[in-house]
Amino acid sequence: MRLLVIEDEPKVGQALREGLQAEGYEVILAETGEDGFFLASNRVFDLIVLDVMLPGRDGLEVLAALRKQSISTPVLLLTAKDAVESRVAGLDAGADDYLVKPFAFPELSARIRALSRRGKAEPMTLIRIGTFEVDPVTRTVLREGIRLELTVREFELLEYLARNKGRVVSREMLTRDVWKEPGRATPLDNVIDVHVARLRKKLDDPFAIKLLHTVRGVGFLLSEEAP
Amino acid sequence: MKNLLGKSLRGRLTILYGLLLTLALVFYAGGTSVYFLHNLRHQLDLSLDRDIETVEGLLSLAPDGHLEKGSEEGEAREGDLGRGYLLEVWSGNGVLLYRSDELNGAAMGQPVYLNGNRWREAPHTLRLPNGMTVRVASRFHRIEGQPLVLRLGVSEGPLWQQFWEMVGVLSIGLPITVLLIGLTGYMVAGRALRPVDLMARHAAKISAERLDDRLTISNPDDELGHLGQAFNMTLGRLEESFDQLRRFTADASHELRTPLTAIRSVGEVALQKAGGVPYYRDIIGSMLEEVSRLTRLVESLLTISRADAGQIELHQTTVNALELVQEAAALLESLAEEKQQTVVVEGNSILNVWADRLILRQAVINLLDNAVKYSPVGGRIHVDVSVDTHTVLIAFQDSGPGIPVEHRGKVFQRFYRVDEARTRAEGGTGLGLSIVKWAVSVNGGSIDFDSEPGHGCTFTMRLPVSKIQNATERLS
Repeated sequence: MRLLVIEDEPKVGQALREGLQAEGYEVILAETGEDGFFLASNRVFDLIVLDVMLPGRDGLEVLAALRKQSISTPVLLLTAKDAVESRVAGLDAGADDYLVKPFAFPELSARIRALSRRGKAEPMTLIRIGTFEVDPVTRTVLREGIRLELTVREFELLEYLARNKGRVVSREMLTRDVWKEPGRATPLDNVIDVHVARLRKKLDDPFAIKLLHTVRGVGFLLSEEAP
Repeated sequence: MKNLLGKSLRGRLTILYGLLLTLALVFYAGGTSVYFLHNLRHQLDLSLDRDIETVEGLLSLAPDGHLEKGSEEGEAREGDLGRGYLLEVWSGNGVLLYRSDELNGAAMGQPVYLNGNRWREAPHTLRLPNGMTVRVASRFHRIEGQPLVLRLGVSEGPLWQQFWEMVGVLSIGLPITVLLIGLTGYMVAGRALRPVDLMARHAAKISAERLDDRLTISNPDDELGHLGQAFNMTLGRLEESFDQLRRFTADASHELRTPLTAIRSVGEVALQKAGGVPYYRDIIGSMLEEVSRLTRLVESLLTISRADAGQIELHQTTVNALELVQEAAALLESLAEEKQQTVVVEGNSILNVWADRLILRQAVINLLDNAVKYSPVGGRIHVDVSVDTHTVLIAFQDSGPGIPVEHRGKVFQRFYRVDEARTRAEGGTGLGLSIVKWAVSVNGGSIDFDSEPGHGCTFTMRLPVSKIQNATERLS
């Protein structure tokens, strides 16, 4: 998959490129709106990550110009403005999603994945990590053949982590996607930590191989290998 | 002149009063003149009446029917007449018996035809062909049985002269009076408005740096005193909000500096030491923790500044109070469980408030979160929903250490912490309660608390009852 990242801040641009390359994407970085527009209109990309605050031609103008040329590549806007109007303006200009700065990298990569499989619902198939499996249909969890008794919330948390297996999931993502908490104002970090600790007790404590890892400062990771 | 005066309030007032005064004086002078003229004419008529009697005595009828007038006194009278008295004598059947030469044949009235022995003609004013205005009076008289009518006229010249003299005096006096009163008024207005001028000068000197200054008020009971007091009150509020802003900016930068310092020192120390991958991972993780703290702080600050600027749009609906609290309690249930605390939510389940659900929910979550945080292990948290006429009361009672008296007035202030070290260690931003206060007041409610040190504290929200609920109650 080929991504175009249009971001003028060199540190952020570099970090995005490296991070996304590590996830297996081919990344091309443009540092101005003009360059980005030129690249986007001359080459084919699967997705564009576009910063709104660009010197010269800003992100919304670039986006509007692209849409005018009937280039319908999905666009993920990065905005430093939290105001509702600027989000609306972004979506009006033809963006497919937006992310408010400062964002967590796992969040960005989750959004990119969501956009690239747009329209296709996540399959309700069995998720398996080694001897561990989650069945979203029957809502059962088996580890080494032993069925784990989980509460509804614990199951949802584990299912979400399992779907993102091998990738770090941030607390913001859990707040929004598992707890369905609207708005970023409600910090559920303590609540999430408590649930993760309980889940870990049921999932990992009886077994030698630990699956649920905490990545300090970022979030949680479900994987057979420790990070 | 008009522009010069018209600019200032003083000038406008003077012009306005001057105009009104002139108008009043013109009416007065006009009325006086008319009355004066009327009076003069009346005097003239009276003296004409007297003179006619005198003339009657001078007249006699010669045997041939010719009218004779005169005696020595009569001659003297004639002289008088020559100076202005004009005489016309008619017989009862329309024959002119005498007419003064000065009249040059001009008549002083219609020929007289007597109908019986009555004659009545009101005194009237007549303009002669030579341009002279004459006042004419007439009288019925009988000489030796023969009926006659006498008409005596006198020039109105002296009367008009007197009248115009008076008008002249008035029209010279009037502008002088107006001018004098106008000048005095201008001076009085200047004196009266001087304090305003002083106040304006003083107010202009009060700037953002000197907001503690106030206007001096000489008389608090007059209009200017009211103005000054109102201005001083505005200044007071302004000073207060400036202070608040200054404090807020100082506090905010302090709060931002704390995680920044942590990031910096952790990073610097790590760079100086040689460590393996796990060590660096740990360092980066620690720095990222501070970053999320910063992020949270910036987000809270953004919420507050948007709230201050009134940019947050409310989406008010009917919200069931008990359900809202139960929902928040369920969300935080696990935190209380970890501390083996009992959370009891009870109260009237039909009470609805009119509020923005998300904002109010935030406030409820913050209060519950605090209650869990400050109640000890095994403690008890009690939330009660009740009603007091048109107000829904939601009381959050914890079993924590309570809030010492000296902190009472400040707990809702931004960045105010009762126990600085403790809340910071627990990751609090110091904005929780100030956000609660905003969330409640923006929904038309209020919040206060009651605390007995050592026995926990109770925060009580008061919110307006939803009107929609009232309507349904009335229906049912």
